[in-house]
Amino acid sequence: MKNNLDRRTFLKLSSSATGALIVGLQLQSCYRKEEAATQYAFSPLIRIDTDGWVTLTAKNPEIGQGIKTALPMILAEEMGADWDKVKIEQADFDVKYEEQWAGGSYAIILNWDLMRKAGAQVRYALIEAASIHMKLPTNELISNNNRVFHKISGKSMPFEALLEKAALVDLPEEVAFKPVEDYKIIGKPTPQTDVKDIVNGTTSFGIDISLPEMLYATVRKNPVFQGKIKSYNEASAKSVFGVLEVIELNNEDYGGRLLEANSPNFVNGVAIVADTTWAAFKGAEKLEVEWDNTGLRKENSEELFQRFYKQLSETKIERKDGDIHKARRKAAKNHEAIYEVPFLAHVPMEPMNCTVHFRDNFCEVWVPTQNPQAIENGLMKLFQLKPEQIKIHLPRIGGGFGRRYYGDYAMDAAVLSKKFGKPVKLTWSREDDIQHDWYRPGSVHKMSVSLDSQGKVIGWQHILANASRKTSLGRDGRPAGTEIDAYDFPAGFVPNLQLEYGHVLSDVPLGQWRAVAASANAFPVHCFLDELAHMQQIDPIDYFIAFLGPARMVPVLGDYEFDNNRFLHVIEKVKQISNWETPLPKGQGRGFAARKGAGSFIAEVVTVEVEANGNLNILRVDAVVDCGIIVNPSGAQAQVVGGILEGLCAALYGEITFRDGATVQSNFHDYPWIRMKDVPDVRVDFIKNNLPPRGLGEPPLPPAIPALANAIFAACGKRIRKLPIAGQLLN
Amino acid sequence: MPSYKLTINSESISVEASPDIPLLWVIRDMLGLTGTKYGCGKGVCGACTVHFNGSPIKSCTMAIENADGGAITTIEGLVKEKEIMIKEAWIQLDVPQCGYCQAGQIMNAAALLVNNPNPSNVEIDNTMSSNLCRCGTYSRIKQAISLAAKNIKQ
Ligand code: FES
Ligand code: FES
Repeated sequence: MKNNLDRRTFLKLSSSATGALIVGLQLQSCYRKEEAATQYAFSPLIRIDTDGWVTLTAKNPEIGQGIKTALPMILAEEMGADWDKVKIEQADFDVKYEEQWAGGSYAIILNWDLMRKAGAQVRYALIEAASIHMKLPTNELISNNNRVFHKISGKSMPFEALLEKAALVDLPEEVAFKPVEDYKIIGKPTPQTDVKDIVNGTTSFGIDISLPEMLYATVRKNPVFQGKIKSYNEASAKSVFGVLEVIELNNEDYGGRLLEANSPNFVNGVAIVADTTWAAFKGAEKLEVEWDNTGLRKENSEELFQRFYKQLSETKIERKDGDIHKARRKAAKNHEAIYEVPFLAHVPMEPMNCTVHFRDNFCEVWVPTQNPQAIENGLMKLFQLKPEQIKIHLPRIGGGFGRRYYGDYAMDAAVLSKKFGKPVKLTWSREDDIQHDWYRPGSVHKMSVSLDSQGKVIGWQHILANASRKTSLGRDGRPAGTEIDAYDFPAGFVPNLQLEYGHVLSDVPLGQWRAVAASANAFPVHCFLDELAHMQQIDPIDYFIAFLGPARMVPVLGDYEFDNNRFLHVIEKVKQISNWETPLPKGQGRGFAARKGAGSFIAEVVTVEVEANGNLNILRVDAVVDCGIIVNPSGAQAQVVGGILEGLCAALYGEITFRDGATVQSNFHDYPWIRMKDVPDVRVDFIKNNLPPRGLGEPPLPPAIPALANAIFAACGKRIRKLPIAGQLLN
Repeated sequence: MPSYKLTINSESISVEASPDIPLLWVIRDMLGLTGTKYGCGKGVCGACTVHFNGSPIKSCTMAIENADGGAITTIEGLVKEKEIMIKEAWIQLDVPQCGYCQAGQIMNAAALLVNNPNPSNVEIDNTMSSNLCRCGTYSRIKQAISLAAKNIKQ
């Protein structure tokens, strides 16, 4: 892959009276003695100043996953920086940074080599420079703590004394990475970059942006997906003190609801522009409006699920190994069960917002987004702009979870700012957020299995029916098997296996939620396996281990192999640390599930108590994780705990329903989130190895759901086949 | 437009505002103190927690007309020695994930520790359950409160 970050464009920064002036020049021509440079930018990611400070660019959007800390840690490690003399600056969106997005647990996976290379190149230049200064061979020099040291004598020189000479060194294309054993920064628990500003309340999230002459806005949206505006009474909103303007926003005037894949346009509605967010909210509430919802599906949840059930018998086969029908005929026992998973909303803590200042054909944007490229694409399409007419700033983000992959909330802000020629901050209310999300699709799963006389699984069929993310909003197109993939577990582990997908078209906006399809599919797969274990009175972990077979590489699809060694290892370890074999008092039970996700292996055990009156208490969660090298153990632990809590919370209460084409739930009172008093003790154990680091944002979530449901079965004998658990009788 | 007097982070000010505007939006949009956050606007998430005459309140549910003459402390004004020790515990344990809920969490925790310097786990749970953390930082919040309580006592 072409790498723009190590291009031989050398930026040299020299300070002017008022601060740093960026002079973008080739190294050779910018090296001029008469001009005393104070800042040396070795790449867009690394700058060293003559005062000894290293400034690292954090290139990816920070949504709470800790990437603003983890990626600079990798740079700092490779170059030998002193973490206490490192400053971190958030990058704006720029294609030169590559892979500048947050999603799919990919940031560390995709940037591991990019960051190591950028850091190692600078280390190379500094060591070359030190070798000249110190008259010592490069292989006797190492960099550490912002200095280059002579390994033998211990003599050293600080980075700042090496800059002029280092700036003359050609950065090599091939560069050796530091051996893992020498790591000093990677692997050390490191507090988040912004932690001080966060606790002082001085971090600027997107919603906190303030610009001179800025207007505040919100949009009263048609609650019905795809609905339009019939009429509205402007005066009704303008009666609110502080409301300045009332403007109709029809996305059809701006290219329709979807500008392109992953670039949705705003929801139709009436924008209220005011002098405070509150006045805009109140104006929106007071606005008298009539919607036009003719010709829409106006879906209800019950009807939608009925269509899913129907679709179970009309499917496309996504994967077919052997012959499940033959296996069924041969089997000593066949078993089947149907599982149901609800729609979910994302509810990041910071509601959707965007600030835009559109002037002189230039669109400057401050947007909390996981996907800045999609926002740029959308703006280009909306206003026929070129990339150089758009500037996207990436403030810290109050949570993403997949919601901010879709930038619909930026488009209306841009339209309004263009109209007024002033900066506009557009904020969605929490109600807007919950009612106009890109929901995790609900689904129905028909699981069938064939067992031989020893109880071994010889046939496996998983049929999933739902509305696909790829064809949401009722748009036609190939469902592309998006909700169950040919490589989904347990593909590769059963000789006769069929994975099928039944596709239903729906008007509901659907999107990626943390862990995407696995957030739904892990539940039926791992609860069904638990059912099989109990049916045969075998310990569920022992049964699962037998199901997986011996430690080996399991060919799954193409050249994708599943490392059963690493998988078995986390499973055996979780069995140990959870005291799996120690009996529990009556009314308590343990449940287990293990998955691979984003390259990481995770095994989880949930312990619950079901009281005689049916009350459920989650007592404890044990998790063992193998994600390869752990860049920042503090951030990694937080991701695992956060993912597990999110899974438990979704399993307990998460449910979005629809009535007449609109979402029923509207705020945290009817879409509850887990609170401190319900949070169990979560113990996380990481397997230590030197394998390349893999994703952690998503993988901890899916197993938590079946592990909880399996624990409930163990505690009280109630098999959960439908989520959420809240509202179901457990006694 | 009626005028209201407030003491905010020890500074006396007066604001002209519509009587029903919640304190949250006066603080954020009129006074420019954006550390206090909007999360639900209904008093159910705690992101907007500030101290009003020393007690934690959800600033999204208190109209300015009911706050007239009151003394308000926001996260930016949480600067007393003991309060700083709470923030330090937060930093030491690397509590925040996205960070958005944390100002509200700290405001609530600070009020708890003033009234109850030695809270039990159950007391922490009960008080802090009015603050939602979407990222799930609860166990570190709990540890940070215990750590701060211990440090303050010494
Ligand atoms: S914003 Fe006030 S409690 Fe949620
Ligand atoms: S840290 Fe993200 S909501 Fe609490």
